[in-house]
Amino acid sequence: MDNTARIILHIDMNSYFASVEQQANPFLRGKPIGITGKSQERSIVATASIEAKRLGVKTAMSTWEAKKVCPPIILYPGDPEKYSDIMHRFNAIYESFTPNVEPFSVDESFLDITEEAEDYFGATCMAQAIRSRLREELGEHITASIGIAPNKLMAKLASETVKPNGLTVVRPHEVLNLLDRCELNDLCGIGSRIKERLNALGISNFKQLREFPLKNLKAEFHSYGAWLHEAAWGREIASLPTVARNDSNQPKSYGHSYTLPQNTSDPRVLKHYLFGLADKVGWRMRRDGVTARRVTAFVRFGDFTSHGEQRTFHEPTADGIRLFQMAWNILKPICLLDVRLIGLSTSLLCHGSTQPSLFKKERNMTSILSALDKLQSRYGSGVWKRGATLQAEFKSRSSGFHFDHEI
Amino acid sequence: MHEMLNDPIDVTVAFIDNRVLVRAMRWNEREYKIDHVNLVHTAREGAKRVFYFSVSDAANCFKLKLDPEFLEWRLVELYTDG
Repeated sequence: MDNTARIILHIDMNSYFASVEQQANPFLRGKPIGITGKSQERSIVATASIEAKRLGVKTAMSTWEAKKVCPPIILYPGDPEKYSDIMHRFNAIYESFTPNVEPFSVDESFLDITEEAEDYFGATCMAQAIRSRLREELGEHITASIGIAPNKLMAKLASETVKPNGLTVVRPHEVLNLLDRCELNDLCGIGSRIKERLNALGISNFKQLREFPLKNLKAEFHSYGAWLHEAAWGREIASLPTVARNDSNQPKSYGHSYTLPQNTSDPRVLKHYLFGLADKVGWRMRRDGVTARRVTAFVRFGDFTSHGEQRTFHEPTADGIRLFQMAWNILKPICLLDVRLIGLSTSLLCHGSTQPSLFKKERNMTSILSALDKLQSRYGSGVWKRGATLQAEFKSRSSGFHFDHEI
Repeated sequence: MHEMLNDPIDVTVAFIDNRVLVRAMRWNEREYKIDHVNLVHTAREGAKRVFYFSVSDAANCFKLKLDPEFLEWRLVELYTDG
């Protein structure tokens, strides 16, 4: 089908974690609240309620800064299991309207409703029907902004124009008008650094970006230049069929970090946490059938300076032990000061199965991990733990550690 | 005030239209009449799925946990206004 004839819905839950808590707890409604990590003193605001945003609180602001900006803010510990359950429920609602649902993040999904809606009037009716179902099944305080447009890029931009609880329809002939009313970095894919580089080229809006020679854009940004050019025309390169994961929306990396309960330079404590994180990363990679050839380990010190380095393997792996060993080799010489946060990530991902090891011990370990993975798939995180990580207590609320990330 | 608890409680419920509506609960030898069931969600606990009910009266918000295997109710969170 011609890509310009597609009809895409982007649904973005408004202030998602905060809205869920306001739905659950009527005493939080209408008040500025910030959803935080397990320790409110050493945390950030993961989501600010609509009321808190109006008073200047921003996502990812540290809790002390949020308190400074908005003294009446109520800091509330997040509950990832609850948000995960509600996420499955709203995606199930979407799937009752179309099988073509592509979750984009924990609180955003794209729906390709080209066949179901037939035209933009049908799409608008469907969006209203989805909104009614959300209200009936989840509650009136969990609201969503919806954008309808000919592709995902424009649908996302449309949903962000009216918040909260907006419904914005952008027909193909209205796409350029929408773009010309937006800032460059309003578009998903253009961040502040790209915006600065575009500004340096004398481009400060989408009209100028459209008129800028494609050849020069490619010279500056390589293949991304072509993407920018198409985006300026409201087009999406390779407007993808939804649902099926393909190369462009496969994860490029896997990672976990953890803010420690207290700053420490004790290598035993740091190793316990790092091993726990490595096992979590390894499990997510094995679940998705990938292995990695690169490990990046990083720490943030008590003075908020950070340090991170990476190493590359000869043989790709998804085994938590090997990831941990590589990460600890990186961090061991630098963890001499008080560490506040520790983490690791993997990249250079390889898909598909790897060659079995020549060594029996390693083959046995692969079999054990496979059995443990089946257990974890069935019973969830926490069903098994290595003896070496028994002393590392990952707090259950909000850290995300106990939550099996699916997106 | 927000408190994390894990106290066994007695609960009175109604089953209406495939929904569980919490009507009242007894905790610490005191009866609470429940005005609203605000949100119900589930979570996995090992092999079983447990249900959480976020309910409220005029002054408190309670998070109740139902273990469907043992039909056991617990009060796991209490939020008191003010």
